[in-house]
Amino acid sequence: MYRWFLSLRYLRARRTNWIGAAGITVAVAALILILSIMSGFLQESRNHLRGNLGDLIIMPNQDSPLSGSGRVLPKTDEAAMMEIVRANPHVSGASLQMAWYGMLVPDSKSALLKHPVFGDLSLIHLVGIDVPDEYGASDLQENMQASENTGSFKVTPVADLQHPFDPPPFYRSEGAPKAGIVLGAQLAAAWNLHPGDEVELFSLGVDPITRSVEGQGCNRTFVVTGTFRSGENAMDMERVYVDRRALADMLGRTTAWSQVLVKLHDYEADKVGAVASLRSSLAEGGFVHRPSGDNASDYYRTEVRTWEDLRGNLLGAIENEKSLMGIMLSLVMVVAGFTVFAILSMMVSEKRRDIGILTALGAHPSGVMSLFLMIGCWQAFLGASLGAVLGVLGALNIDAIETKLSRWFGIQIFDRSIYLFDHIPSVIEVTGVAMIVLGAVTCTLVFAAVPAWRAARLNPIDALRFE
Amino acid sequence: MPCALSEMTDPSNAPTTAGAPAADVILSGRGIRRAFPVGERSLEILHGVDLELGRGQRVSLMGASGAGKTTLLNILGLLDRPTEGEVWLNGQPAWSLTTRERARLRNASIGFVFQFYHLLAELSALENALLPAMIALPKAAYRTSREQYEAKAVEMLERFGLGDRLKHRPGQLSGGEQQRVAIARALLLDPPLIIADEPTGNLDSTTEEQVLEILLEEQATRHAALLLVTHDKRLAQRCERMVHMEDGLIQADSALPIPT
Ligand SMILES: Nc1ncnc2c1ncn2[C@@H]1O[C@H](COP(=O)(O)OP(=O)(O)OP(=O)(O)O)[C@@H](O)[C@H]1O
Ligand SMILES: [Mg+2]
Repeated sequence: MYRWFLSLRYLRARRTNWIGAAGITVAVAALILILSIMSGFLQESRNHLRGNLGDLIIMPNQDSPLSGSGRVLPKTDEAAMMEIVRANPHVSGASLQMAWYGMLVPDSKSALLKHPVFGDLSLIHLVGIDVPDEYGASDLQENMQASENTGSFKVTPVADLQHPFDPPPFYRSEGAPKAGIVLGAQLAAAWNLHPGDEVELFSLGVDPITRSVEGQGCNRTFVVTGTFRSGENAMDMERVYVDRRALADMLGRTTAWSQVLVKLHDYEADKVGAVASLRSSLAEGGFVHRPSGDNASDYYRTEVRTWEDLRGNLLGAIENEKSLMGIMLSLVMVVAGFTVFAILSMMVSEKRRDIGILTALGAHPSGVMSLFLMIGCWQAFLGASLGAVLGVLGALNIDAIETKLSRWFGIQIFDRSIYLFDHIPSVIEVTGVAMIVLGAVTCTLVFAAVPAWRAARLNPIDALRFE
Repeated sequence: MPCALSEMTDPSNAPTTAGAPAADVILSGRGIRRAFPVGERSLEILHGVDLELGRGQRVSLMGASGAGKTTLLNILGLLDRPTEGEVWLNGQPAWSLTTRERARLRNASIGFVFQFYHLLAELSALENALLPAMIALPKAAYRTSREQYEAKAVEMLERFGLGDRLKHRPGQLSGGEQQRVAIARALLLDPPLIIADEPTGNLDSTTEEQVLEILLEEQATRHAALLLVTHDKRLAQRCERMVHMEDGLIQADSALPIPT
């Protein structure tokens, strides 16, 4: 009984105990906050990346002969290919894309000189799409709508979502009618482009079979019809969408597609089965390679992939960052543990006489030990529960907190223009919070155990000898 | 060296090693030696002390400073393990018990009164007096019997003239008041043995008289044995037996006429 009673008395008597608890509070709150934010980043990134990519991506390697069949190349018949893909029971939508690279120059070429910073003609990802199909396979439709309009790069929606590449109604062509182009919002902002402006795309054709660059470059003028914002920085800076046929026409290519985006009914449940069945049925139809056993020419593994396979690096990086943050902040916990250690050690030295008295009155060394452990326990308990509450509240209101702090200090803590998203994402994982609290209590008790053990080993006659 | 062996080699102890002492003996120290390591060497302070206390006996322990009185008391009070020898307390061989059993025995059978009071500063007078019961009982058991112990402690403290000091902290009490709280604490569980090491060594003579009066009276009414270390000859006169120590040995052990 005396352990409870005395531990509370000692806890109350020394103000330093609150410092120990406060240290644990800070450590726990910081850990919960950071891990919630990192989980939020991870989840938000997944959502964005996945939406931009579709669930699965089929990228047949069209210039490598099918194995065991001499020089027979994979078939390129898009209608037959899509038939196979759509016949798959897991698939809810599929869309052909033609992806290539080129350069974009605004028609008013003086812009090049005016904006030397943006004037480096970086490579542009040209994506030719089929419109209603694309909407069923990726998030493009949502990305082209103004509902995404938060943050610094505003979306200018196209006039008609069903025909995004129709020139805007107010546009008057001077020569032949031009095809429309939808730009990434950041790209449009960088060039100061608006619907109705004309841009010129430059590119080179490549023969898919010989892999030789087909002589001359090609160029064509497009008219800007709108912008999109995917939230993924690279994409919004470097990607443009045009009509698939228009792109094929410009490049002079006979095969007007290079990849297929596939949406599944239930990605998490079906991804493994869908990839496997698509691989085998497409190989059956002669569109992709069969596993050859020879690693160097084994295109089989890369031709049908999930979006996670494709973006594994980025997701892995965020995941790594999360664990690293966790480890770094666990060190804060260790520091809090040291504080408790120091406070309890001080208390044991200070209470030597009390320990002697308790022993004389019949307390067992293990009782003395648990008395001091209990003081550590109270600190851990108070600190961890307060930290959990603060951490969870902080994670729930992180956006408001960041805004306020940014205003106070006059610096932007979270620059919304450089991330995938316009708010600080945070996801509270109940198990994570529980683990952190448990970890904090365990850590504190481990650190408290040393002084408590010393207290138990104290010789009562030494403790009692002098006043 | 195991104590049984040493006792057998020492003929003076032979008769008393036979086993438990008689039932009317509360405390029996046999062949107690205590050596302290001093640097490389070991310095023996007690050279084989035999001391027996009957139940209810009031014994004074005198001797020059450094004679080893406190050292002996620590061993008899189960706070310090003798290098050799055994202490029988209430029929049990205390230094052959487990630590836990010995702690229990100390809690139930010995009441300590120290020269420097040794109250816990964070606790009120009443809480200090209740401490032995808190140590004796687990939380649930203490809760059920708490009122009974509290009533007992309050009754004692009131009897000792501390009725209006129950909630005071030791720091707010005078030396004499603190020692009276310490006496109440020592008596709470009605131990059969009270060990007091110069209980009035720190008090002025008037206060000393008050405190002694309380201690001796309580001891007599409870029929508890009292082992009292003192330098005060007049106080020793009030005991029925006087033991004199010199250089780690008992030099004289004399019965006195029972005082009034
Ligand atoms: N832990 C120890 N280590 C070394 N020597 C010790 C230790 N404890 C006591 N002594 C020595 O033992 C001797 C006896 O000490 P003790 O405290 O028993 O004397 P005492 O009779 O109680 O004296 P006083 O009347 O002054 O209280 C002293 O010389 C002391 O220095
Ligand atoms: Mg002494």
